Amino acid sequence: MSERAQHRPTDWFLVGLWIVLVTGAIVWVVPFVFIVFTSLKTEGEIYGSGVFAIPRSFAWHNYVTAWQRGNFASSFFNSVVITLVKVPLGLLCSAMAAYALAQVRMRGREALFTLFLFGTMIPFQVLLAPLFSLVNSLGLINSYAGVILPYIAFGVPYQVFVLRGFFRQVPRELSEAAMLDGASHLLIFWRIFLPLSLPVLAALLILDFVATWNEFAMALVILQDSGRWTLPLGLMSFQGQFSSAYGQLNAAIVMTVLPAVIVYLIFQRYFVSGLTAGAVKE
Amino acid sequence: MTIGFAGRRQRGLLILLGPALLIYAIFAIGPFLDVIRLSFMHWDGLSPHARPAGLDNYRAILARDPVFWTAFSNSLIWTALSVAIPPLIGFALALALDQRLPGRGLLRALFYMPVIIAPIAVATIWRWMYDPFFGIVNATLTDLHLSGLIQDWLGNRRVALYAVFVAYVWQTVGFSMVLFLAGLQNVSPTLLEAARLDGARRAQSLRYVILPTLRPTITIVVVLSLINSFRTFDIIYGMTHGGPVQSTQVLALWAFWQSMQLHDFGTGSAIAVVLLLLTALVVIPYLRWTRRAEERWS
Repeated sequence: MSERAQHRPTDWFLVGLWIVLVTGAIVWVVPFVFIVFTSLKTEGEIYGSGVFAIPRSFAWHNYVTAWQRGNFASSFFNSVVITLVKVPLGLLCSAMAAYALAQVRMRGREALFTLFLFGTMIPFQVLLAPLFSLVNSLGLINSYAGVILPYIAFGVPYQVFVLRGFFRQVPRELSEAAMLDGASHLLIFWRIFLPLSLPVLAALLILDFVATWNEFAMALVILQDSGRWTLPLGLMSFQGQFSSAYGQLNAAIVMTVLPAVIVYLIFQRYFVSGLTAGAVKE
Repeated sequence: MTIGFAGRRQRGLLILLGPALLIYAIFAIGPFLDVIRLSFMHWDGLSPHARPAGLDNYRAILARDPVFWTAFSNSLIWTALSVAIPPLIGFALALALDQRLPGRGLLRALFYMPVIIAPIAVATIWRWMYDPFFGIVNATLTDLHLSGLIQDWLGNRRVALYAVFVAYVWQTVGFSMVLFLAGLQNVSPTLLEAARLDGARRAQSLRYVILPTLRPTITIVVVLSLINSFRTFDIIYGMTHGGPVQSTQVLALWAFWQSMQLHDFGTGSAIAVVLLLLTALVVIPYLRWTRRAEERWS
């Protein structure tokens, strides 16, 4: 069988397909290349040389200037703090709830799960105004907690959905045996189920990192003081203020996008499994 | 003894479920209910008391707000395009990248890359690409001797919505592609091989073997594309702010605008409720389907 496969004549259909794909991929990366090129050009080069010209001067100072003028040190710091607090905290909340919904017998469990499932479908972009008034009434406008709590609230449903699906596959005998030995649900969750779910958690962690890092709409209504802005807000404001400083604007784009791209390139595998865990089952 | 055990059990359950449930109820379900309440109120968002408005806000958007209808029809156009185009391209890419081709891992990664970029950064990137004087789009058209097509892509109200949509396609195709690629892993290789030995052409294998297996994936991709298209906010805010002359306005953005910029929370909430109703039309049948499918699996 395999021998025959090796001697199969060249499949021209596949050759053609491959050429089409490579062309498509080149078109797909053009925006990235264009942004990086522009970010390394001086004003004179941008106005004077062609769009496709490779930067000659390597104007790294665009990055330095954009960093300072856009106050990116502060936005970067805020983004890091919010992401580092929100992602692990939200995931822990979701994992605990998912364990209870999957492994603990209780009344109303299905209804509770449906309530969580409902949340995966609510577009929070529609709820910006009531979110603002809620956070405002709690006195949390311009605070980290003011965005972290809604972020957790809208992250929990999908994570609960995925993790509950995973925990349900673990045989109930495992937790029942531990119960007989006198272990509490908390202990069983912490010692047995949490370690078991590490691969799923890793996938959700990466997905959530990028989603939190990129979030714009909620931050826009809650973080109004420029000292509390996250990177997407900083970039938006930079675009408004210095829209004709093309080199610097593109340097600002690269700096905003780069952390997510690096995380993606390192943890590619987890992205796919995190995305598909909820959507596609065997 | 039994009571003590049950008490400890209750406390454990409370610790496990409490945080997620509490935060979710307050910060997600709360605003969801509040937006419905506010849609029947007059409120500027800051004064201590809201006045009841009955159906005034709904009457206002349906009868007196021309922008609402622009936003409504733009949202429908946007949704129709979002359900058709990115999933189709994603499907084609998934089929192609499921073949044994050199460098397919790299190709998959490249097509997926825009998905992980902040939509607001995608907006900034494409604004620069569409720049009428120094942008790559018009420069490419010049090089291809198509100068007749050159224009201010985001400034022309007849093309702006579609220009924004092109950026959205660039960002979202990878998402459909990955879901379809995962679905394709469920296609039985033995069945495909059998079809091939029976002399089935590629199109026939696709029609009779691949498509039937992919049916659940197709449902999921379509529903997620619909929901995501209703949510579209960042990319339009970043590229056009809904302009020029409201030509790219959509419901989510207009709801935000009425509440947060014009301080009319009642009208903004009424617009939000219309969008939630549209979402519900898609979501409720889908949730039923999911629950039934899940029961079948378990």
